[in-house]
Amino acid sequence: MKMQKSRLRPLTLRNALLSAAVALGLVACGQESTQAPTSTATPTAMTSAFSDQAALGAGKFAANCAACHGVNLEGTTLGPLLSGRPFLQRWGDRTPSLLFSNIKANMPPGGNEGISDADYLAITAHILDTNGVDAITAALTASTDFTIADNASELVANRQRSEPPAPEGITVAGNVDDYSPFVPVTDAMLEAPDPADWPMIRRSYDAHSFSPLDQINTANVDSLSLEWVWNMHEGDSEPSPLVYKGIIYLINPGNVIQALDGKTGELIWENWAGPANRQDMRNIAIYNDKIIQATTDARLIALDARTGEQVWETAVADNTQGFENSSGPIVADGRVILGLAGCARYIKDDCYISAHDANTGELAWRFNTIAKANEPGGDTWGELDDIFRAGGETWITGSYDPDLKLTYWGTAQQKPWVPVSRHLTINDEGLFTNSTVAINTDDGTLNWHFQHVPAEALDLDEVFERVLVNRGGEKLVFSLGKYGILWKSDRVTGEFKGYKETVFQNAFTDIDAVTGRVTYREDIQNAKLNEWTSACPSSAGGKDWHSMTYHEPSGLMIAPLSQTCLENAAREVALVQGGGGLAASRKFFEMPGTDGNLGKIGAYNVDTMEEVWSHQQRASFHTGTMSTAGDLVFVGDLDRRFKALNARTGKLLWETRLGTSVQGHPVSFAIDGKQYIAVTSAVGGTSPRTVPDVIATEITYPRWGNALYVFSLPGN
Amino acid sequence: MTPAKLVNTLRRVFSLCFSLAILVCVISFNQNTARAAEANGFRARLSPMPTTPQTKNTITGSGEALVSLTGNTLTLTGAFAGMSSVATMAHIHNGPPAQPGPVVAALTATEATDGELTAKIELTDEQLMALKENALYVQIHSATNPAGELRGWLFAQP
Repeated sequence: MKMQKSRLRPLTLRNALLSAAVALGLVACGQESTQAPTSTATPTAMTSAFSDQAALGAGKFAANCAACHGVNLEGTTLGPLLSGRPFLQRWGDRTPSLLFSNIKANMPPGGNEGISDADYLAITAHILDTNGVDAITAALTASTDFTIADNASELVANRQRSEPPAPEGITVAGNVDDYSPFVPVTDAMLEAPDPADWPMIRRSYDAHSFSPLDQINTANVDSLSLEWVWNMHEGDSEPSPLVYKGIIYLINPGNVIQALDGKTGELIWENWAGPANRQDMRNIAIYNDKIIQATTDARLIALDARTGEQVWETAVADNTQGFENSSGPIVADGRVILGLAGCARYIKDDCYISAHDANTGELAWRFNTIAKANEPGGDTWGELDDIFRAGGETWITGSYDPDLKLTYWGTAQQKPWVPVSRHLTINDEGLFTNSTVAINTDDGTLNWHFQHVPAEALDLDEVFERVLVNRGGEKLVFSLGKYGILWKSDRVTGEFKGYKETVFQNAFTDIDAVTGRVTYREDIQNAKLNEWTSACPSSAGGKDWHSMTYHEPSGLMIAPLSQTCLENAAREVALVQGGGGLAASRKFFEMPGTDGNLGKIGAYNVDTMEEVWSHQQRASFHTGTMSTAGDLVFVGDLDRRFKALNARTGKLLWETRLGTSVQGHPVSFAIDGKQYIAVTSAVGGTSPRTVPDVIATEITYPRWGNALYVFSLPGN
Repeated sequence: MTPAKLVNTLRRVFSLCFSLAILVCVISFNQNTARAAEANGFRARLSPMPTTPQTKNTITGSGEALVSLTGNTLTLTGAFAGMSSVATMAHIHNGPPAQPGPVVAALTATEATDGELTAKIELTDEQLMALKENALYVQIHSATNPAGELRGWLFAQP
C-alpha cells in the first residue's frame, strides 16, 4: 500500500532492494549515549505529524538505542547498522506496525521500563525517517500498515565514514601447491587425522579438541614463544582455524577466507564470498580438494583449496526470511552437514539441519528441528499453528560417529524465550528443541533424541557441541549447555546415563537421577508477562559456544565455564505472521558464592562425573579448551591472557598477554616435526561477551584487534 | 637451702608452673574460642545489583560484609566504596542464593558513597538456620538506586 506523498521525490526502492540478501538484526544491547544524533537524512521541506514524531524519536533513539546501533544508525561493534540497503532489504516489504511491535517486544534487551508505546512509535518513525521514508505525513500508530519501501524515495546509506565497495571473490591470488604439495582429503583422513593436522572444527569427528602432539608439554611449556601474528578482518569473531599439511585455512568476519603458510604466516590466497559484514562464522570444512564455507546469509560455497577459486554455490535457506549461519559444516561420508540459525520469526519455514553433496552442493536431505502439528512430536506445541512454532536453531556444528553413521547435534530452545510469550505453558515441551538429536547420515531420519530441558524458559539452550567418548565398552555422548549441567548419554540408544552440575544453578528443583528429567522452580514454571524471575546461570551460559575438550589420557572432560546470573522478564508477543523474536528483558549479576570469579575451568572424570579440579578467576574465558598429549590444556580470557594449565591438575604453567581479548578455538599442529599452538584474539561473541561487559566493568581491552597468534618452542 | 626455703622455692615454682599452666590453658581456650568464632564466621562480597548496558554506569561499587556469630547474636562489620550516590539504607534480607526475599533486619550504613556497615542483631532460630543455609544477604540502597545498589549473599568462611 502506498501513502499519499508530501514531497516531490517519487522514486521507490522496493524492487531494487529485494534482489540481494543481507540480514539485519536488532541486537541484544542498549545504553545511554551522550552524543547528539546528527541525522543525514534529507531535510524535510515542511513539518508534519510524522516529522515531529520522528524528531521526538531521535532523542528517544539516542537515549535507548544509539550505544549499540550508533547515533546515526550506522551500527557499532555491539549492534548492526539500521540504515541503508541492509535495513530496507530486511524491512522494505514489511510495515511500520510490524517494525514497531518487533522493537517493542525485543529492544532494548535490558528492559523497557519507562519506554511508552508513544516512545516506541517515535523511535520507529525516526528509523524510517532516517532511512528516507518521506512520502507520509500522518504520525505512525501501532496499526500503520503501509509498505515501507513503497514510501522511501532514496537509499540513505548513512554511515559515519565512507567506505569503498567491498571486494568480491579472489583478492590475493596464490596456490597452496607452491608451499606444500596438495593432497586431496579423504574420508579415511578425516576419520583418523594425521597428528600434525587439525582438519575440522574440534579436530576430529568425536569433537575431542585434543591434539596427539606432545613436543610442547608440562616440562617445557614455560618456554613457549610467539612465532608470528596475523591481523584479521574486524568484526565479531569466534574462529576455529583449520590446518592441513602445514596450511592454515582461516575464516574471518565478513565471510572472508584466507590460506596462510603455517610456518611463516605468509598469505597464499584470500577469497571474499560476501556479504561484507561484521558477522561471525566459527568454522569451515575441508574435503577432497575443496574448502567448504557456510556464509552468514545462509549460502553454502565450495572453494578450490589450492587457489581459493569458487567451485560451486548453493542456497541453504532464504536469508530474506531471517535465516543465517554462524557456524560452518562438517563433512561426513561425502556429505556436507550443517545447521541453521535465525529461526525466531513467525514464518512458514522452520529451522533444519541439512546435508549436501560435497562435490556439487546438491541437497541430500533435511531434518526439521521443529515438529509440525501432523508430525511425530507435533502435539508438544500446544494448540499453536505451525507458523508460530519457532526456535530450534542448530547454531553449533555437530559431531559424527562413522561406525554408527550417526551425526549428533544440539538444538536451541523454543522462541520466544519464555513460555507465556510464546502463548504456551511449561508443559508444552516443544520437540525437538533443546535436545540432542542423533540423525542417520544416509537419509536424515531421526535415530533417537533426548530433550535435556523441555519447554525452556530462561534463554538457556543446550545447543553446544556433542563430544563422543568410548569408555569401558560404552559408546557415550557428552554435552554441556547453558544450565551448566554436564550430560552423559548412551550414543547408540540415547539412554540417559548421568549428569553433573558444573556451576551453581537454581533453575531446577530436581533432576531425576534415573531419567534426567528436570523440574523447574515453581516461579519459573508460572512466570507471567513483565514479571521478573531471578535465576542462575545467566544467558551467558554456565557453558556457551566455547568448546570443551576431552583429555583421553586422563579421562577428564575439561570445560570452559562461566558464573553469572540473570533476572528475566517476559514481554508480550502478538501471534502475527512475520512477528516473533526473543521477547524478554534481562539484567545480569555476579553468581553468589563465587567471590566474583566469572571464569571457571572445570575438569570432570567421565566415569564418576566428579569434579577433579577447577581453575577460577575474575575474567571470563572466551575460547574453547584445547588439550594435548603433552598433558596441557590451553584457554584464553577476556583480560587478554592466553594460558596453559596442567590437564591433570589444573595448575597454571604458562600465560602470555595478547592485543585484545583471547577468543575463538585454540588449535595445535606440526610442520616438519615442529609443534605449534595457534589461537585467535577477537571481539564480539554474543552473550558471553555482553554479560561480563556489564558485570566486570573494570576489565578493559581494545574493542578491535582480531588476529591469529602462533606459538612454538624456541630452537625446535 | 633450708627446708623452709626449699618449700618456698617449690611453692614459687609450683605457683609459676600453675600460672603458666593457667596461661597456656587461657591461650589455648582463647585459640579454641577464636577457632569457634572462625567456624561461625560468614562473609558476603558486595557487588552491583542486576544491571544492563543501560545501567552499568549507574549501579556501581563494591564492598564486603563480615559476620561473626555468638549463639544467636550476629555481629556485622563491613565496608563499601564506589557507589553511584550516597547510601540511604542497608538491610539483611532472607532469600536463597540469587533469589530476592524480604527484609530481616536493618544495618547501619555511612551516608556516603564510600563507607562502613555495622550491626548487632539477635537472630531467631529460623533466621539462624537461614544464615547457615546461605539464605541471608546484605543489600545497600542508595539515593539514586532506592531499590538497591549493592548486594551480596553471606557464605560461611572456610
